[in-house]
Amino acid sequence: MATEESEDHGHFLPAVRDWPRGYGEASWWPFVTAIGLLVVYTGASLYVIGRGTDLVSSSVGLGAFVAGWAVTILGMFGWIYQAFVVDFWDRGSHNGGASLRLGMLLFLGTDIATFGAGFAYYFFIRTGGWHTEYLPESGILTSVLVINTVLLVFSSFTIHWAEGHLQKGNHQRFVQGLLVTLLCGIVFIGGQIYEYYEFIVHEGFTLTSGVFASGFFGLTGIHGIHVSFGALLLAILLVRGLRGHYDADRHVSVTTVSWYWHFVDAIWLFLVAVVYIGSVFGTEFSPF
Amino acid sequence: MAVSPELVFSVLMGLLLLVVAGWLTRLEDWQAYTPVGGGGYGESTGHGHEEKPAGLTRWLTTVDHKDLGILYSLFGIVAFAWGGITAMLMRVELTTPGMDFLASFGGVGLYNALLTTHGITMLFLFAAPLIFGFANYMVPLLVDADDMAFPRINAIAFWILPFATILMWAGFFLPLVGIDIQAAKTSWTLYTPLSSTMQGTGVDVFLLGFHLSGFSTTMGAINFIATIVAERDSVNVPWSKLDIFSWTILTQGGLILFAFPILTAAVTMLLLDRNFGTMFFAGEGGGAMLWQHLFWFFGHPEVYILVLPPMGLVSLILPKFAGRKLFGFKFIVYSTLAIGILSFGVWAHHMFTTGMNPRLTASFMAISLAIGIPSAVKVFNWITTLWNGKLRMTAPMLFSVGFVQNFIIGGVTGVFLAAVPFDLVMQDTYYVVGHFHFIVFGAIGFALFAAMYYWFPIMTGRMYDRRLALWHFWLSIIGGNVTFIAMLILGYGGMPRRYATYLPKFMTWHAVATVGAFIMTFGVVAFVWNIWQSALYGKRVDSGDPWNLKQSDQFSNEWKWYEGKRQTMLADGGEEDADDAERNAAD
Ligand code: HEM
Ligand SMILES: [Cu+2]
Repeated sequence: MATEESEDHGHFLPAVRDWPRGYGEASWWPFVTAIGLLVVYTGASLYVIGRGTDLVSSSVGLGAFVAGWAVTILGMFGWIYQAFVVDFWDRGSHNGGASLRLGMLLFLGTDIATFGAGFAYYFFIRTGGWHTEYLPESGILTSVLVINTVLLVFSSFTIHWAEGHLQKGNHQRFVQGLLVTLLCGIVFIGGQIYEYYEFIVHEGFTLTSGVFASGFFGLTGIHGIHVSFGALLLAILLVRGLRGHYDADRHVSVTTVSWYWHFVDAIWLFLVAVVYIGSVFGTEFSPF
Repeated sequence: MAVSPELVFSVLMGLLLLVVAGWLTRLEDWQAYTPVGGGGYGESTGHGHEEKPAGLTRWLTTVDHKDLGILYSLFGIVAFAWGGITAMLMRVELTTPGMDFLASFGGVGLYNALLTTHGITMLFLFAAPLIFGFANYMVPLLVDADDMAFPRINAIAFWILPFATILMWAGFFLPLVGIDIQAAKTSWTLYTPLSSTMQGTGVDVFLLGFHLSGFSTTMGAINFIATIVAERDSVNVPWSKLDIFSWTILTQGGLILFAFPILTAAVTMLLLDRNFGTMFFAGEGGGAMLWQHLFWFFGHPEVYILVLPPMGLVSLILPKFAGRKLFGFKFIVYSTLAIGILSFGVWAHHMFTTGMNPRLTASFMAISLAIGIPSAVKVFNWITTLWNGKLRMTAPMLFSVGFVQNFIIGGVTGVFLAAVPFDLVMQDTYYVVGHFHFIVFGAIGFALFAAMYYWFPIMTGRMYDRRLALWHFWLSIIGGNVTFIAMLILGYGGMPRRYATYLPKFMTWHAVATVGAFIMTFGVVAFVWNIWQSALYGKRVDSGDPWNLKQSDQFSNEWKWYEGKRQTMLADGGEEDADDAERNAAD
């Protein structure tokens, strides 16, 4: 985000146009974001206290939890707006976006570890005493799964296509590509919600239905959160694209978001292979 | 009345913030502390430009790596106080075999809660943030970057930390206002099924705070790596000239990247198990073994996350006061990288007694013994750096030498523990406690003290009190060795760890350990008093090279920056003198 170069005693000032105004190294947004997170976690704490004791009602906690997220997102928007969006064309690009691209790669590295822990659980139980009763009765492989998988793979192509048009200077096609990608993402999330609904309401297969359910909802849930976050990022790109941002030379955030999107897609394919398909096939015999 | 306690909870949070805020605004008028690095003079008096607002707002809004470095350090010292107080409460209880001192406050339960918060606080809220404090301040200067790669993320990462701490400590202060949520008594390792079934919402509140704090560390690591790789001035500081501290911070970042998310994910699963009926760590699911695997897959890299940067600090500081270049610089860099990679392959040496497959324990033993080699390489490098050097026994130097001494004992005891037959006997005894305290206090703590004294002139523009620093050193090294050697002996005798009471036969060595702990405490008091007083009233540094580094041609980047800063400051006007005159008059 260090984008504004302003020479001052030879010192670079990262926050020239920010709130509070008129300083070079001051911004309220990080503090606001952190306060938001404090409220989120305090809300979660109150929720838990409310369930465990009669000290509070847990709805207070839920309320604080939601309010906290609102503040956090506000803080992040403020920061993104002031660090990247305002005077997008007037500011130069800081080190050609190298830091930002590296930052995204590193973040994806942490994500591999996050998912890794979840998959470790799944492999742990899958290679242990495994029963088909763990699965929902009418099976786990549904048509929603197929549609969702096709959609997500397709959206990886559309974002790539959009990037290609940006390189060629066709801004309109670029925006269209983003829009299609975002729509695919949203439909995917809808499909996921529908799948959960079917499992929970009609099959009675819920978070507490046993060891497979823990892994299934844990992994698909964390993946769903990633897709939702990706959709938010795509929406930001789209709005900025509509405001005329980005061209063949200035598109670091397009690149980083598209990496993120491809990554989430790849995780999904792996998840489908091992959690959906892997839970059904080979259940009759176990090599262990 | 169901409403009042929840009101109390939220009002308390608000009040706490208000009190701190009010106090800080006062502080600003009361003592105008202006760290030289923080943009220095002119920011509140308006020499043409203003980089930062004045007073409290400046600290709440700052995105300057130097200010954040100071905030991290202050936070680390506050956490150190809490970690120290809880340790002393335990040590006093352990002076005699029975349950006496803590009996009327909560007895064994309180002891276990103190044990838990002590470990967690020292590792996650003292050591790591203090390392981040120095790295924040110094790494951008050392690599000649303008700031951290992501200054705002840097600020978010910092502010998350005190907020997470409120939740992590809530189990202790909420009972004071009548809300008894039961502090966590799980020990820092949070083993299931204990942690997944323990009663009391305090465990959940603690886990939530712990979860939040993990984000701070991860964001910090991403920022440091991006700074060193992408913001480094590749002309002035090519890879071949990158200093050793930055190398260790880079390696640390790599470890955090893969270790911390595992912890965060495991804690998430634990929270789900406790509150939403999942079965991640239930007997039928992953069980106790999965928790231990995940925890130690994080946990062993975590010990190197904590020890590598201190090793870097000592490698940086020792040569400065030995008047020689670091012996075998390249080998230290390579051994750092080697440790970084190997540290992901040794986790199960914490689980030798769990009944794992013996073929596995044998291979984990082999890798654990191997990781001792790069550590030993470093020790020999430090010793050869000292050999025939012109040693100047300043406080930072004393602490660096003390580091080497303590690290040898800590490392050798660790290698013993890595041998399966030895570990089967010593697991869960005070021997293990002695081993890691030689490292976490004797080595990590000492390196951080060394860095504090070494960079004190840059961070405050003043000099610490040398006499107090010597007291600090001698009390720490004597007290530390007395306490931790007593622990090793207790371990040989078979004293199990994590107990508030014990058999009378262990009393002598427990008493010795307590005496040592008091000696250390006096040292720490000298340290905190020294830092506090010297930052406010210490003698001003009168040159850009207070350690005479130019003499041995070791005037490194951060000092060059400091010298430049002093020159601009002087050119900006003579406020410094006026300020000083006022101070001296007050003395
Ligand atoms: C020379 C390299 C080292 C080796 C071979 C080694 C080996 C070991 C082993 C085998 C254990 C398990 C003992 C047991 O529970 O039975 C252990 C425990 C421990 N070590 Fe080390 N260690 C080394 C260095 C370090 C360093 C550098 C640190 C800290 C920065 C450290 C911190 C710890 C801690 C905190 C524990 C206790 C964990 C617990 O609470 O159970 N060790 N070490
Ligand atoms: Cu270990």
